[in-house]
Amino acid sequence: MKLAIILLVLSVLSQEAYSQNFERMRENMVRQQIQNRGIDHQATLRAMRNVERHLFVPRAQQRRAYDDGPQPIGYGQTISQPYIVAYMTQLVNPGPGHKVLEIGAGSGYQAAVLAEIVEKVYTIEIIPELGNQAKILLENLEYDNVEVIIGDGYFGHESEAPYDAIVVTAAAEYIPPPLVAQLKDGGKMIIPVGSPFLVQTLMLVEKQGDRITTKNLMPVRFVPFTRKE
Amino acid sequence: MPKRIYISVGLLSASIIAFQLTLMYLLSIIQWSHFAYMVISVALLGFGASGTLLALARNWFIRHIKIALPVLMMLTAVSMSLIMIISNTVFGSFDSYLLFVDRSQVLGLVITYFAFFVPFLFGAIAIGLVYIHYVKKIGGLYFADLIGSGIGGLLTLVLFWSFSPTQLPAVISTLPLLAGILLIPAGLKMKFTPLILAGLLMPIILFINPPRLPMSEYKGLSGALNLPDAEIVAERSSPYGQLSIVRSPALRYAPGLSLTFQGTVPVRDVIFNNGNWFGPVVEWSETDTSHFLDYTTNSLPYIIANPGDLLLLDAGTGLFAAHALTRGVENITAVEQNRIAVNMLKNELAGMIDSMYQDPSMNPVNLHPRSYLLKDDNLYDLIILPTSESFGGTSGINALEEQYTMTVEAMNEMWHRLTADGMISVTSWMDYPSRAPLKLLATLVETHENNSSLPAEDHIAAIRGWGTITFVLKKSPLNPDEIGRIRDFGNQMNFDPVLLPGIDQSERSVFNQLPDDDFFSHVDRIMSADRYRFYNEYDFNIRPATDNIPYFSQFLKLGRYGKMQEMFGQSTVPFLEIGYLIVLLTFIQITGAAVILIILPLFAIGWKGGGKLYTVLHFSGIGLGFMFIEIILIQQFILYFGNPIYAAAAVLSGMLICSGAGSLASGRFSKGRRGIVKVLALVIFFILIYTILLTPLLRLTINFPLTAKIFLSILFISPAAFFMGMPFPLGLRKLAELNDTLIPWAWGINGCLSVISTALATIIAVEAGYIWVMLIAALAYGLTLSANLIKN
Repeated sequence: MKLAIILLVLSVLSQEAYSQNFERMRENMVRQQIQNRGIDHQATLRAMRNVERHLFVPRAQQRRAYDDGPQPIGYGQTISQPYIVAYMTQLVNPGPGHKVLEIGAGSGYQAAVLAEIVEKVYTIEIIPELGNQAKILLENLEYDNVEVIIGDGYFGHESEAPYDAIVVTAAAEYIPPPLVAQLKDGGKMIIPVGSPFLVQTLMLVEKQGDRITTKNLMPVRFVPFTRKE
Repeated sequence: MPKRIYISVGLLSASIIAFQLTLMYLLSIIQWSHFAYMVISVALLGFGASGTLLALARNWFIRHIKIALPVLMMLTAVSMSLIMIISNTVFGSFDSYLLFVDRSQVLGLVITYFAFFVPFLFGAIAIGLVYIHYVKKIGGLYFADLIGSGIGGLLTLVLFWSFSPTQLPAVISTLPLLAGILLIPAGLKMKFTPLILAGLLMPIILFINPPRLPMSEYKGLSGALNLPDAEIVAERSSPYGQLSIVRSPALRYAPGLSLTFQGTVPVRDVIFNNGNWFGPVVEWSETDTSHFLDYTTNSLPYIIANPGDLLLLDAGTGLFAAHALTRGVENITAVEQNRIAVNMLKNELAGMIDSMYQDPSMNPVNLHPRSYLLKDDNLYDLIILPTSESFGGTSGINALEEQYTMTVEAMNEMWHRLTADGMISVTSWMDYPSRAPLKLLATLVETHENNSSLPAEDHIAAIRGWGTITFVLKKSPLNPDEIGRIRDFGNQMNFDPVLLPGIDQSERSVFNQLPDDDFFSHVDRIMSADRYRFYNEYDFNIRPATDNIPYFSQFLKLGRYGKMQEMFGQSTVPFLEIGYLIVLLTFIQITGAAVILIILPLFAIGWKGGGKLYTVLHFSGIGLGFMFIEIILIQQFILYFGNPIYAAAAVLSGMLICSGAGSLASGRFSKGRRGIVKVLALVIFFILIYTILLTPLLRLTINFPLTAKIFLSILFISPAAFFMGMPFPLGLRKLAELNDTLIPWAWGINGCLSVISTALATIIAVEAGYIWVMLIAALAYGLTLSANLIKN
């Protein structure tokens, strides 16, 4: 009996330590990988601190969830590097009352970060297995303002259009015309360009009336990262 | 010595080469060709390791040779089959794509190496043992080995046409089994029954029920099959690779489509070759008057003029041909070397593409594009090259592909095939850091400079969308009307001009802004006389590819690797330029392993004296030299035959058979030091002749009929190959007289250096060019020559 109680106490303590450890790792991630690289959008920083990234990666990789890089999540997909998620979030300048569409839910992490800031996130995932996993996880984490849709991102989600921002995490060789059409006047669309483990640039599409322009942005991670805390 | 040993050695050698080519094929399908290259290079070290083992346990093996030989051959057979049976376990959790981001994958890599190493080790011990024990018959045995390898290479081609890739190891494993059965001593047949049964049963099971090998989830085909309702609707295997046609309601293709396009991007089937993107199956109708490519930068040449005669190089699935038909081009010559793909499009898929290939305007040609250029004397209004790189970058996986269509010499030939107002058009995906577009521009500028004294600025136009850039090099200067039309087209499509006569800096990023102006200043430096200094200063290799260094997609500068690591991070930089990096990694691994394998036997045979220096120099030299020449000849004959597969088969088989004949003649040809020196001097002489004369001779006869070309290729190859077959048996004979305990060591050294030479030849070819590979081959034979001048 005594042994059982000791084991129970140990187990509770280790769970606590485990979770505190992740919290510490998350804080380090925000300070070292994100703030140090110039992300200063307060809502984004808050969201990156709040969302438990380790829950969005496969269990075997949880201890590497806060590493400064992307992680594989199966089906040839990745969960983006924390800095890229933060940079993309800052770029679309999300705010309360905004409605955001995400193409390529993947693990659901980007949607969760956005959901911390905006009113509603619609996220579309074409691979049913990934989409369903993301759906269950986001429901369990009580992100009531995220709707996961299993389907082809090409068509966007017309019934809720227009959107203040569209985040295309699963980019293709073309930008689907329906997505451009569903972007609000003055809205922003962000698309990371590169192989799964090497996002080279981020493309920002801006719509002002009939005029659509693009801006290629270079993530500052390509600048030597020397500051340490 | 029983005569059937010759047959057994021949069968075993045939199986080893066939197995090697099959593994290359299989691994290229489920992973990538550069990874296949690395794994097989390491596995082939089985030859080096066999020498080490034989040196360490020579007496034991010789005492048991009657049993050991058939057992080793049968174990080769069993392990060839076994690999396929356990392959699901080997590859189940291993993905070479994750090698640089997930350290746990290293264990998978080591298991993979070991799994593939075993059959080569067993086979090589058997051959080495025969050489050691029957060294007096080495001429005939080496002949059987080389002839077997030559036939094995040809046999593999036949097998690739006849069986699915996963059935091949089963078929091939019957050869070493038969080789072993032939050598079972009389009276011991019953004892061998379990091994024979295992050797027979496994291939039968595998043949009937071949395993489904798990493909990397990062391959294009895997990605496509993850889409809803995706299915493979047709599949064909051939020496050109495994073609898979995938259908899914979510598969669309519209590369770099303008953001002004408001139509629907059509759903289409896609063809993958070895799991990699090959092209979309283009739906086309005779009544089509517009095409989605009208909304891409690819339309630039059609904005400038209305070409009547079009030459499409590497036409792929015919996407650009369909576009040209809607643009009213009268004659389209579409050159595509993948015969299977073209046949599928012309026949099975004809309905889907509305028989585009049977349209009277279409002239499909099944040849290497460069061979076609060398043979052709027609003139064209427009020549279109395939799109460079891919969306998001290719990570350098094409770095070591010889792209003879993208060299300065190829562009010069294209220039001479242009009408007075003709154009060369090529599109590239924009990449960061910028590499492919800059190298393309440099190639076009140098082409113009080689052929015209007028300023290149008046002849080159470039227009950039959000993802692609298209360059047009026009033979005559661009006139004001054409320049105006290009500007209007850009405004309509939200594209920005990058190069136009009289362009203003402010025009270059109206619709699509880049992170900075670096790209434009790089473009301007390439257009200026300062370009050669810029090539040296830039962090990536953007110097135009040449026929001597035909690696257009190789951008890595070794000296700048440290800087790249600093900028991109240690784990991500491999995804920038992985192709060449893998060769370097392979070279380091096999050289390290080879050094250990070569040094280990010295603990058994002693460190000093007794002809060790001779052994190292003689067998290192021929190990390096033989493979270097083989690689160069394959490269040279690719253009000659217009087909890499048949070129490789012709050269490999021709060389091995002629070398085999040389080996057979070596017994009579020469004895003693003088004979070997003469043979080596002749080999060096022929290599130097090749260095000077081979390319011009091949260019001169490229238009000859195929049968004449086959005859000529044998004529070109046979003299050198004949003499190159002699130094190995002559060296072994000499060792037999000098110190026969060194024979296994010599076998191991030869094996190790042969493997090292493939990686080393590639590195030299990339860094310095083929001429240097040739010259170093001559030097390697010089090393062997020097060994024979040393008095032992």
